[in-house]
Amino acid sequence: MKHFAIRASMVLAGLIGLANVSFAEGFTLSEEPKIAMLYISPTNDGGWTQAFDEARQKLEDELDVSIQYVESVPETASAIRPAVARLIQRGANIIIGTAFGYSDTFAALAEEYPDVAFLNGSGTTNADNLLAFYGRTYESQYLCGMAAGAASPTGKLGFVAANPFGQVNWTINAYAMGAREMNPDATVTVVYTGAWNDPTKERAATQALIDQGADVIGQHVDTPTPQLVAQENGVYGTGHHRDFREFAPEATVCSSVWVWDRFLKDELEKIIAGNWEPNPYGALLSMEEGGTDIACCGPGVDAEEEAKIMAARELLLNGELDIYAGPLSDQNGNVIAAEGETVSDGDLWQMDWFVDGVITQQ
Amino acid sequence: MALISSWLGNTPEFAVPFALAALGLIITEKSGVLALGAEGLMLVGAVMGIGAYLSIENTPLALIAAMVSASVVSLLFALMVLVMRINQVISGLVLVFFCQGLSTWIGSQFGWVNRPVPGLSEFAVWGLADIPILGRVFIQNAVVYATPLIFLLSVWALYRTTAGLRLRAVGENPQAGDAAGIPVLGYRLAAIVIGAALIGLAGAFISVLSTKLWIANMTGGRGWIAVALVIFARWSPWKALAGALLFGCIEALIPQLAASGIKLSQYFVFMAPYLITLGVMIWVAVSKRDSSSQPGALGSPFIREERT
Repeated sequence: MKHFAIRASMVLAGLIGLANVSFAEGFTLSEEPKIAMLYISPTNDGGWTQAFDEARQKLEDELDVSIQYVESVPETASAIRPAVARLIQRGANIIIGTAFGYSDTFAALAEEYPDVAFLNGSGTTNADNLLAFYGRTYESQYLCGMAAGAASPTGKLGFVAANPFGQVNWTINAYAMGAREMNPDATVTVVYTGAWNDPTKERAATQALIDQGADVIGQHVDTPTPQLVAQENGVYGTGHHRDFREFAPEATVCSSVWVWDRFLKDELEKIIAGNWEPNPYGALLSMEEGGTDIACCGPGVDAEEEAKIMAARELLLNGELDIYAGPLSDQNGNVIAAEGETVSDGDLWQMDWFVDGVITQQ
Repeated sequence: MALISSWLGNTPEFAVPFALAALGLIITEKSGVLALGAEGLMLVGAVMGIGAYLSIENTPLALIAAMVSASVVSLLFALMVLVMRINQVISGLVLVFFCQGLSTWIGSQFGWVNRPVPGLSEFAVWGLADIPILGRVFIQNAVVYATPLIFLLSVWALYRTTAGLRLRAVGENPQAGDAAGIPVLGYRLAAIVIGAALIGLAGAFISVLSTKLWIANMTGGRGWIAVALVIFARWSPWKALAGALLFGCIEALIPQLAASGIKLSQYFVFMAPYLITLGVMIWVAVSKRDSSSQPGALGSPFIREERT
């Protein structure tokens, strides 16, 4: 009986403890903030990682802190763990990752180090001290689609994409909708290369699209190859990740660019202020919240068209335009969203349908 | 028609890296050294070709620098398999992993990632380029035109010269070669170094001439396809060239089909080259059980005192 009483009181204590945790305030750092970043590629990769490193440098100025980083950390637990452990040993208590493949390891690390705040770009896992974030790239790609539609003499656009899943398909549909805003007859022919980083396949895909009549090449792959090939062939293109006028100044009419500093500045300030409560479903950032923007416009887009694109950009930056608001149907006539509805985030991630004007093998 | 014309026109550019890498492998393997390291040596050629171009801005010299670099790295492989007599399969695999790390490190250390280069200009063969449909095949860069010549020269050297005879003898029966006074390890070393130069050129072709920029691990398994090519070509250079053209055809067709919007599952298309590798291998195995074309001493180290 006595044993039972002890056990019961232990269970009760445990329950109270649990209750305490769940009613606890948000995450607060126990020491002075010290930020560190973990890059998947070298800082000079010209794309994804370089965009993060540019954000890091801006954040250092704006927040007046120094942010250390480790580059070329592959997406395996055996590489991520020691790198993060060393950073924490050196006093880092805010860790920012930059890869989808860090998700599971970051989830485990967040549990192991409850006093450290974790953020992960393009991650999928979340916790009380871990926030995954990514951009609504369809907004910036919608604007680049407008630029492409404006720059194309024939209305035949090409698009070089990595893999046919939601995060890529949402940019393709938005690109086509943007293009049709400027030219109602525009079509977007898509070639998936099956890889994020295979410049050989990207070159072949771009060349094939141009050979078959496309005169503006959009892209959602990591290297600037499509823009280089567009320039070689004397046609236009739109970039992704960073302003690809750096690589192809004559061809690139618009680029969807990452502006992580706009989001991270606010988020880091929230963490430092204490009582941080990361969204349990992760942060999918609209242009209004930071994350993406465009570098526009290059050659081929005249002043009137540029004004129209910038007006749409203004609406997106103010949160007044929802690309995936109804009425919206796919190219087979199925209603995706009725008037007044909007496509939910869950459905965005699973997007496997295409709007009118998109030509794919799917 | 536009599809077929540009498909055929793009085929040589895809076929050349396979062809050169396969030829390099055949030269090395004819001497009895099993060379699985092609993927690694191609990566070395790819990164050093771009690096050399960015440093000296001369494309022919950059290609030569890539060939020399791959040869230098292959000395390490030669040290492992000829001097230390480490298992050739293991040494080949180690070479690939080593080169993956080495090329990534060098390329990112010097900031060669995503730096575009101009490549070589393409020129037309007079008269032939005007043929309808087929014409685009004859608008290529100089290395594409040089590839059949390199094959001719290699076949002549392998089968029509004393040095070639000795190299093959060393690969068939090193003991007999040794008894005849042929320096076995010397010939094997030469075969490794020359083969590596061609494989390095294949890698540099991908980065400097075809893709015109470099990123880490950009050969994307094409070195492994070359290894498979050599096996199904039964160590015959001409069959390897034909195989390379077949693969070039498929690689060039995939984006053309997609760009023309022909409905065909993407995943099936990605699988197609490997499916065809498998198919051809099975066909070769079934059609003739001819193991005699494989160099007799392939994969076994030479130890002078040992009787086999």
